[in-house]
Amino acid sequence: MAHDKSQPTKEALRHKVQMTQEKIDRYGKLNGDDDILHYDHDYAVKRGFRGTLAHGMHNMAPAVDLALEKYGKDYFYRGQISVRWTGPVCPGDEQVTVLDADDNVVATVDNVPGKGTATIMVGKSTLRDK
Amino acid sequence: MTRPAEVKVLEGLTPGTRFDQFEVGAKMNEVRFTITPEIIDEYIKAVEGDEKLYVVDGRKAAPPDVLCVYMTSTLYQKYPPIQGIIMCEVAFGYRHPIWRDESTEVRLSGEVTGKFVKKARKFIQWKGRYKRADGTLLAEVENTFSVPE
Repeated sequence: MAHDKSQPTKEALRHKVQMTQEKIDRYGKLNGDDDILHYDHDYAVKRGFRGTLAHGMHNMAPAVDLALEKYGKDYFYRGQISVRWTGPVCPGDEQVTVLDADDNVVATVDNVPGKGTATIMVGKSTLRDK
Repeated sequence: MTRPAEVKVLEGLTPGTRFDQFEVGAKMNEVRFTITPEIIDEYIKAVEGDEKLYVVDGRKAAPPDVLCVYMTSTLYQKYPPIQGIIMCEVAFGYRHPIWRDESTEVRLSGEVTGKFVKKARKFIQWKGRYKRADGTLLAEVENTFSVPE
């Protein structure tokens, strides 16, 4: 199962998704970009990455879903999300995204050479004027 | 239906915009596109979205982040992209649902708000506003990306 949701505590919501090149390609086909960082493994490695990069906005999508799960209808009218990408998600990575009780977002991937678990995105997904 | 590629300038088609060519304060032209139920379906599949979350008072809506796939259209029409741009930060404020049972004409405009160099990396900042054709504000966005040089 590439896409799994669970609620490990009452406070935090968690989302897991497995990244593949096929998924990067599918998002890129819709997104309409042609940046070779997403498709050319050798170029990405030359730029210092482990492999091709998933699109940052693709990585952000689980944080929107988690906030929708938490806030429902209000998020469509008052939703606020801000994220900073701190690392890449590459094919083979499992991205785990957590929305905590204070609406902080942290997304990580495991098994990064030399790092183990690496944080790839931090931010906030909340309501305006909450 | 407007696919994002129809309103974006693709990387590699032009020499692209160098860091020193971005002008702080420059306004981007309004880009118009139509988000259709088909595009919304394709987006949900692409991000493996959870269908049950996209409902407002019993009416199906799009994931608000469907707007992401059009985000750079207004920027790239004024400043065609070079290869190797990396997204660094983004902030969205969602203000109104995009309904899934109808097509929505959207108008996106924006302006460059900043540029700076940090640790030898070059960054561009800009912001945009998505509105429906009737003027209803759908979302606001602020974005920072780095330009490889």
